[in-house]
Amino acid sequence: MKTAKEFLKTIFFIEILRGLALTLSRLFTHAVTRRYPKVKRPAQPGFRGLHALVRDRDTGKEKCVGCCLCAAYCPSQCIYIYTSEDEDHKKIVDRYEIEVLRCIFCGFCVEACPFGAISLTEHYEYSDYSRDAFYMTKERLLSNWDKYMAGQKGEGYFRKFWRPMSEDFGTPEKQATWRKIQNAK
Amino acid sequence: MPEVEKILETRELNVNMGPQHPATHGVLRLVLDIDGERIVNVKPVVGYLHRGVEKLGENRTYFSALPLSDRLDYISTMNNNVGYCVAVEKLLGIEAPERAKFIRTMVAEMNRISNHIIALATHILDIGATTPFLYSFREREWLLDLFEMLCGARLTVSYPRIGGVRNDVSQEFLDSLYKFTEEFPSRINEYETLITENRVWKKRTVGIGVISAEEAINWGLTGPTLRGSGVNYDVRKHAPYDAYDKVDFKVPLGKNGDCYDRYLCRIEELKQSNRIIKQCIEKLPKGPIMADVPKYVLPPKDNVLKDMEHLIHQFVLITKGPTAPEGEVYVSTEVPKGELGFYFVSDGTGRPYRMRVRSPSFIHVSVLPRLCAGHMVADVIANIGTIDIVLGECDR
Ligand code: SF4
Ligand code: SF4
Repeated sequence: MKTAKEFLKTIFFIEILRGLALTLSRLFTHAVTRRYPKVKRPAQPGFRGLHALVRDRDTGKEKCVGCCLCAAYCPSQCIYIYTSEDEDHKKIVDRYEIEVLRCIFCGFCVEACPFGAISLTEHYEYSDYSRDAFYMTKERLLSNWDKYMAGQKGEGYFRKFWRPMSEDFGTPEKQATWRKIQNAK
Repeated sequence: MPEVEKILETRELNVNMGPQHPATHGVLRLVLDIDGERIVNVKPVVGYLHRGVEKLGENRTYFSALPLSDRLDYISTMNNNVGYCVAVEKLLGIEAPERAKFIRTMVAEMNRISNHIIALATHILDIGATTPFLYSFREREWLLDLFEMLCGARLTVSYPRIGGVRNDVSQEFLDSLYKFTEEFPSRINEYETLITENRVWKKRTVGIGVISAEEAINWGLTGPTLRGSGVNYDVRKHAPYDAYDKVDFKVPLGKNGDCYDRYLCRIEELKQSNRIIKQCIEKLPKGPIMADVPKYVLPPKDNVLKDMEHLIHQFVLITKGPTAPEGEVYVSTEVPKGELGFYFVSDGTGRPYRMRVRSPSFIHVSVLPRLCAGHMVADVIANIGTIDIVLGECDR
């Protein structure tokens, strides 16, 4: 047996009307979507996008020494490194290549590298018509650095992530904890 | 006369649903035997998304196999990562520090919210309501942005590490997450206004896919799918890992074990997860974020950059992997879909000898024939939605 109240609710479509009122009220709020190609969403610092090899500021060459640790750590095994020796038995990196199509952007290479020589930039729009465009050679990786990470950005990059320097998070006094937010809704 | 009988003979129709069907949440193929509009039998055919994750795991070190767990259930990646790390930690016999535990609990619950949001939204969308889908993606976007702020990736996060987490949380992140927890209950109210009492929704879900508590246990169901039938089982309560024994939350239970009760369970779990996040933020202790076990944990980066011992240690660890003691371990954790178990057999090297994943989706798919039998064709969709499967995890 339905009570009278329930009966009234049923014949007047109360719950449906309440839902409609909610959707109607949303008409007068701001849109949460973005007009994507025109309005880009800024990537957060430390975003794991396209790779770049760090260019040493002093020598103007890559920082990488060809130790192959990143290649050993990479879960999808998509880093290829070829090295040789020069006259005074110094290791030189002949080829450093990343097959970006196979990369899963886990960032393990950055974590492994003991020289801070490889980074993931904030660039994520790199679709292309050919697969060759995603085979990153050393030159292209270096130019990625110039394009997306030059200046301040590149210097701050290694600080933010990858179990960073103690000056940022490591010391307990500076660690983030809960604090009352004044004007939270 | 026999001629006429032959013409009028009725028989069951055999229909393929999927593998490319928008409502099967991935590449699930169902072979339906239907008698008119009634389902006689459903045969799930799985394996279209098989990538051999278990085998791949055996060819990688314990460190490098971590991103594979992202690719199991790509909607609740953080929970999978945590499950993997907890299992390997148990194998290695190490424990994450307190702060890392709280951070992990916090991010895992964030992902539980975003998973339940998707589960509900697609379930509701399949049944025919578009608006809640759009509304809930608004909140999901918010959470994904927070993930991006935390670790640089939105979906495949690979954030927890064996023995802790990759990087510490920033104050900015905590503040925005707290703001989210303050805001979120009102958003849940919005979904509830739209759906909970809606008569169309109720007609489509009440009494559909009923499974009794006893049967649910026998089928091996876990997670909200089991709790919808009123069985109080939650790994977070019964074998607490991370910081779940230090936060206060309830395990919502259903009564009738139908689609509607499972829906109510998920809505209630959203609220509980929100509470857990809030408590984690408030209780977050200070301290290290990685276990101090040099044998198994990569040294901090600044040490590696500075001195030789740590550098060599990093080389050895990464190339060899953490040399786990011989033995086997099975650890289950509560992911949004149910109970995710990792089973490792170690032969004393840095790679697992055998890695086995007990994925809830695989077990939940098997119950589909039982849930659908006797219902209409349209209810198959409702039943797929309610068991909340992801085929990446089911096929592995
Ligand atoms: S991001 Fe991960 S998958 Fe990509 S190259 Fe680096 S280690 Fe390999
Ligand atoms: S990028 Fe780093 S880890 Fe990789 S080879 Fe160069 S120096 Fe070694």
